[in-house]
Amino acid sequence: MTASPVGAPVETRVAPRRRLHGARRAWLRDRAAWLFAAPSLLIIAVFIIWPIVQSFRYSLYDWTVGASEQQWVGLDNYVQLLHDDLFWNSLWVTLVFAVLSVSLQLVLGYAAASALQAETWLAKAVRSVYFFPTIVALATIGMVWRFLLDPSIGLVAGITKTFGGTPIGWLQDPDLALPTVIFVNVWKNVGFTMVILLAGLKGIPGHLYEAARIDGADGFRLTRHVTLPSLRPTLLLAGMMLTINSLQVFDLVYVMTTGGPLNRTDTLVNMLYREGFQYFNQGYASAIAWVLFLIILGASALQLRLMRYNDVD
Amino acid sequence: MRTRFVAAAAVTAATALALGGCAGAAGQPSGATGPSAGEKVQLTLWTGFTGGDRPAYEGLVKAFNESHPNIQVTMEVQPWDTIAQKLPAAWATGQGPDLATPNFDPNILAQYLKTNSLLPITKTGTGEGQVDSDHLAPAAIKAFTQDGKLYAVPANVATLQLYYNKKLFEKAGIANPPATVDEFRADAQKLTGNGVYGLSLADHETIQMWPILQWLDGSDIVDASNCSVLNTPEAIQSLSVWSKLVIDKNAPAGLSGAESDSLFSAGKAAMQLNGPWAAAGYKDAGIDLGVAAVPTGANGAVTLASTVPLSVSAKTKYPDQAQEFLAWWTGKEAQKQFALASGFPPVRTDLGDDPQLKANDVVAKFAAALPSARLYLPGVPNATKVDAEVYVPLIGQITRGADVTKSVTDATAKLNQLTGCSK
Repeated sequence: MTASPVGAPVETRVAPRRRLHGARRAWLRDRAAWLFAAPSLLIIAVFIIWPIVQSFRYSLYDWTVGASEQQWVGLDNYVQLLHDDLFWNSLWVTLVFAVLSVSLQLVLGYAAASALQAETWLAKAVRSVYFFPTIVALATIGMVWRFLLDPSIGLVAGITKTFGGTPIGWLQDPDLALPTVIFVNVWKNVGFTMVILLAGLKGIPGHLYEAARIDGADGFRLTRHVTLPSLRPTLLLAGMMLTINSLQVFDLVYVMTTGGPLNRTDTLVNMLYREGFQYFNQGYASAIAWVLFLIILGASALQLRLMRYNDVD
Repeated sequence: MRTRFVAAAAVTAATALALGGCAGAAGQPSGATGPSAGEKVQLTLWTGFTGGDRPAYEGLVKAFNESHPNIQVTMEVQPWDTIAQKLPAAWATGQGPDLATPNFDPNILAQYLKTNSLLPITKTGTGEGQVDSDHLAPAAIKAFTQDGKLYAVPANVATLQLYYNKKLFEKAGIANPPATVDEFRADAQKLTGNGVYGLSLADHETIQMWPILQWLDGSDIVDASNCSVLNTPEAIQSLSVWSKLVIDKNAPAGLSGAESDSLFSAGKAAMQLNGPWAAAGYKDAGIDLGVAAVPTGANGAVTLASTVPLSVSAKTKYPDQAQEFLAWWTGKEAQKQFALASGFPPVRTDLGDDPQLKANDVVAKFAAALPSARLYLPGVPNATKVDAEVYVPLIGQITRGADVTKSVTDATAKLNQLTGCSK
């Protein structure tokens, strides 16, 4: 654009055309992209965005599905939640479930991934065995375990009796039910965590270890200063996925205990289901959904912060 | 950032979908045009009869279709939870089936009345194609009537009876099933041992058995004005005695209905209170099964009745044909066929003298209990919640050793708040 003295007026005439041309090209390019994205966007808008907006609206009403007039209650559903003992119970159960599940899954998943890094046939076979429960539906797993743990007719009780013990009602005892459900959840998901962390471990360049060894680092220091920092993005991904899944747990609880005994395994989504589909309090159930949404938002933000996601190393 | 948003959005989507998405999940429309002469009317019926009694209901629908060339009923059987999720929206928006059994709990009708989803059944009487409501189980008809209008007929009526394992009775040296409540408790203790419970009890996800135990001692849950009577001395006494039986391991604690059934069908419990639907499964499991009347209590014979309401959508295009179906379903011929196929007592009160039904041992026993049978929390406001948030937790607490007096005091406060008792 540093042209001849006569170039200036020419340029003013040409440049807009060029810009127009560029914009049109961009539009043509973008239009194709938008068209390709349109089906998914439409589906997301109709089946995700719209229900989210609607559920917030429901939560401000005493909503009855299909009624011609809905009763506006403002924030009453939320106020009522704060005074509902069952809500606080569910919140506590959900948090205990999430914290224990996620930490156990990460620790055990990391242990399994480190132990089974080798590409021997044995390691591969054991990895497949660990991963297997992940591909089975949670409801199926819940039913199988419920049957195995049945204090009267289950396999676990049978083995206990063979060795002269007294069978334990794992899911019937109020103090054992939640730990049992957490155990089954961890058992199911630990293989998934292992696979993700394994991918992370394999992605750590070997020269980092070499350099550290030359500097005199031993086993623990290698883990502490090379492996874990390099694994941070993977750990963050796994941690967040597991946290979100755990906070939303429903099917496992519904199938194994339906929230019992004595509400000791009554998670927020289980309570939401009961309010929405057994008592038909759709407004109240929507309020629970929004509280859960805020909790998950907060938990995710906290994790990103703690794992220094936005930091540049 | 993006991960966080997407993840968070996905959560809300999941929960919101569960809540809002049901609007789109309506069933099949019942037909595009109104009926005209000679045209075949198509009616759909949703039921939750997934159990061992399913073939008996399918037999009824088949017989109806064969005898009614102008009406074709299609029954879609699905789990009760699925109906609970789909039917309210489907009916309130004028879609969904012409006929349905909304729940196995008759108290659910109140929910559908709120959205004007139920058609009042007006074609009553003794004529052809009319619902003979005067000869249907009175407790059910009473429960289905609101402000003088009938909103459902009983799709079935069942009573709970005492199932017992003859082999285990023989082993314990007991000749006959217990006849009185004292014998009942004594036998439960005597039959316990060697990995066997005297009595298999369920306290949640079940048709409640515990009210029967209370009624046997002459105590109750609510009075006529829907106020709790759980805290009366009689109720405390009764609940204490029965919960002690559980604490002493004569009966298991904290089982669901299905778990209690498995226990009995594995031969690990000698007695159970259950309905006619369970008989076939127990026989298949090889149990030497006896069925006896529930032992007599302090105030004579008593047991629990359960009934499934069968209703018509207020927005059906074929109200006359749908009512004709109800009339036929509750008619003499159909009820006799159904009773013989399922072991349920007929929903009619005028089939007691039928020789074929009398000859059927199971039907006869369950039918004999009808006059003394009572519904669970009939007409009690918020009955579903009273069950889930008061009665189930109360039984759960006291069978695990909680102080009965304190538990019933808490239960009473919560119950009265839910039912709006004004005492």
